[in-house]
Amino acid sequence: MSLRADARALPGVSGPKLAVWWFLASEIMVFGGLIASYLVFRLGGTGWAESAHHLSMPLAAVNTLVLLSSSYTIVRAWVAAEAGEGRALRLNLALTILGGLVFLGLKAVEYTTEIAAGLTPGAGIFWSFYYTMTGLHGLHVLGGVVVNVVVLATARASLARPHRVELAGLYWHFVDVVWIFLFPMLYLS
Amino acid sequence: MAVTTAAHPAVGHAAHAPTGFWRTCVFSTDHKIIARQYLALGVAWALAGGLLAGAMRWQLAWPDTAIPLLGEIGPDTYNMMVTMHGTIMVFFVAMPILLGAFGNFLIPLMIGARDMVFPRLNALSVWTFAAASAVMLASFFVPGGAASAGWTGYPPLSARVEYTGVEWGLNLWILALALEFASFLMGGVNYLTTAMTLRAPGLTLFRMPLVVWQQLVAAMLFLLSVGPLVAGAVMLLLDRTLGTAFYAPEMGGDPLLWQHLFWFFGHPEVYVVLLPALGFVLEVLPVFSRKPVFGYRWIVWATVVAGALSFIVWAHHMFISGMDPRLAMPFSVTTILISVPFAYIVFAMIATLWRGSIGFEPPMLWALGFLTMFIVGGLTGIFNGSAPADVYINNTYFVVAHFHYTLFSAVFFGGFTGVYFWFPKMFGRMLGPRLGHLHFWLTLICFNVTFFPQHHLGLAGMVRRVANPLQYDALVPLQGLNVVSTWGAIGLLVAQAVFVANVVVSLLAGRRAPANPWQANTLEWTAPSPPPHLNWGRDEPVVHRGPYEYSLPGAVDDWLPQDRPPARAGRRPGTT
Amino acid sequence: MSSARLHPNYTAVWLWLLALLGVGLAASLLPGGRVVALAVVFATAFVKALLVALNFMHLRFESRVIYAIALAPLVFAAILALALFPDFVWHGPPR
Repeated sequence: MSLRADARALPGVSGPKLAVWWFLASEIMVFGGLIASYLVFRLGGTGWAESAHHLSMPLAAVNTLVLLSSSYTIVRAWVAAEAGEGRALRLNLALTILGGLVFLGLKAVEYTTEIAAGLTPGAGIFWSFYYTMTGLHGLHVLGGVVVNVVVLATARASLARPHRVELAGLYWHFVDVVWIFLFPMLYLS
Repeated sequence: MAVTTAAHPAVGHAAHAPTGFWRTCVFSTDHKIIARQYLALGVAWALAGGLLAGAMRWQLAWPDTAIPLLGEIGPDTYNMMVTMHGTIMVFFVAMPILLGAFGNFLIPLMIGARDMVFPRLNALSVWTFAAASAVMLASFFVPGGAASAGWTGYPPLSARVEYTGVEWGLNLWILALALEFASFLMGGVNYLTTAMTLRAPGLTLFRMPLVVWQQLVAAMLFLLSVGPLVAGAVMLLLDRTLGTAFYAPEMGGDPLLWQHLFWFFGHPEVYVVLLPALGFVLEVLPVFSRKPVFGYRWIVWATVVAGALSFIVWAHHMFISGMDPRLAMPFSVTTILISVPFAYIVFAMIATLWRGSIGFEPPMLWALGFLTMFIVGGLTGIFNGSAPADVYINNTYFVVAHFHYTLFSAVFFGGFTGVYFWFPKMFGRMLGPRLGHLHFWLTLICFNVTFFPQHHLGLAGMVRRVANPLQYDALVPLQGLNVVSTWGAIGLLVAQAVFVANVVVSLLAGRRAPANPWQANTLEWTAPSPPPHLNWGRDEPVVHRGPYEYSLPGAVDDWLPQDRPPARAGRRPGTT
Repeated sequence: MSSARLHPNYTAVWLWLLALLGVGLAASLLPGGRVVALAVVFATAFVKALLVALNFMHLRFESRVIYAIALAPLVFAAILALALFPDFVWHGPPR
């Protein structure tokens, strides 16, 4: 399954899957740029750990657990779609969506607590990065929830073409992987 | 090969080709219509960008006199013109025309596909670009005016409203660019996926025309480099609106971060603009020399290598930024290195011409114009790319001359190469050749009159983005050069009227174009001029050879289309 | 069109993810060397990311083209991060 120059097209690779991976490549660069900036600022600055102390590590740990598990449920949804099991597909998609909403809800709780304590984005360089990184990530979670809702709402079509669930899952896993790095970078350092 | 032997989904709808104004002209998913939409938007913005340049040049030649239609302008307005001229030309002229219009038009036709693999995503991309255009246009009319912190938007000037006096203009500028990036990300994904999955039978990657390769590498460069700037732009917008600290040293931030993030994208971006132009020229040279292109595979490798290197040269834009001086040497080395693959491509172009049977039709004139002018620009790039020299010439008009010799060559000489070559295919009419010759020579002469003196001005110390050069005593004796440059610019603008006239007359009453007026080999010339919806009739082309089989020894014709079946005489059936 | 007729054991992968999360949390909460704790935390993060990418995202079974598309941005992002070190971590050359 390699890119042979004498092949007419790429065997075994579907157009939509290629497209999603190209899109993810560009998204990796967006978060890569943000994370690289945070990394060098953090390593070169002082006082970041003290600021980070105000974050709620337990809430974020729960969020990490939720997101990891929602990656699991969406891949199970895809397995169900491939096997033609409509009920399992709908259930797992619903769980994934629920996970996304729980994540966003807990993030909202975090934000309101922090802002109420005067820790706004303008409160300092750590907080600028914190809100921007988690905010951009949160927007991506929201986007993923919307996509998953659409996939759930058109579950019958997804049973006929399971790769829709696979592709939605690819995006969702990407969002999960970004969080896997954001969590320790912001909360555990 | 299972995926792509099936007919394109659109073929099933051939019986239901869209009708009605809205579906065919406005919200079309046909790549050729979308190409026209990009072209129309790009040309409209070119007029705006050109007029801004004219106004700037007037101000520089005759400072503090009234500019026609605008009156006297102050430094703030001048800064706004400089900013918007650069932003418009790079993002709203070069990209929609070279990538949006030509990429969309050519890629499916040249690979034997009926449309892009995602036609609706394609429509969404051009409409997102239209939205970006609307937002950018609106930024001129909001209180405070349009962005004025340079097309490079460096903070703190761009981060604090009080430094420019521009509030909404800059916020809308950021928003418009974000939409533009989204549009070209969608387009890039479409181009790459289409070329990877929808090539006609027999069209291997190394039988693709070089212009397709160039479009694909450009799409990859854009896709992989724009991310950090998106991150940086979000940070800039938040600094402006929420008071975040990213670029504010007093709060722990650093303006230098923006420069790194911007140029990490900014450098690959100039190659995103250049590569399609190289592609157009590489298509035209063999056709009008009746010779195969020289070193096809090496050109592909050189393009890929240059693309990869383009990610590690960016700090040559920052030699005087105050960045760590230890970065100067490595980035100088990589910058000099990147001239090697491009030099190869230029030599390959010359070698293609060597001993060819040259036809001086307008597309070839423009291609030759590109080649010569780009060489000049490339040579000055070597000075700019070496840190010891750049310390003196950075931010002067020497840099302005350099990037106009390269970028103007790409966008206008390269762009007109493409326009004159593919106009018959796009619009079904031939462009008038005599007006084409006149347009070329006027543009070539006026271009050089405009930009060559700027080398001298830069070396003498005239810096960029200054509204009144006469405020510097050392520049007063050189003002004649500024005046000459301005006359060149006025001529350059007026010369484009020749092109407009040519287009209008040709569209209305020009000679109808045959399918293959240039006797070229690539697949787009096998479709009618212009191609109908879904490009070909019942059967898609099948490819039997590469795209540059010109003047084969012993052949009757000096060209051999890619899709012509091989001669049967003397061959066993089943061999090709 | 799905790429993998083969399925890894997703449940096992999920349990490993949870376990790694636990290890990371433990390392950050328990007293001990800060450097060691950070090393454990980020090592577990990398492994978790790899598990998700290779298994849930099927990279283990995809063609080399997909691998290249996934890998290239990581390389470029790393180059960017490294190039930022002189200016922002080391704050310029030693004076």
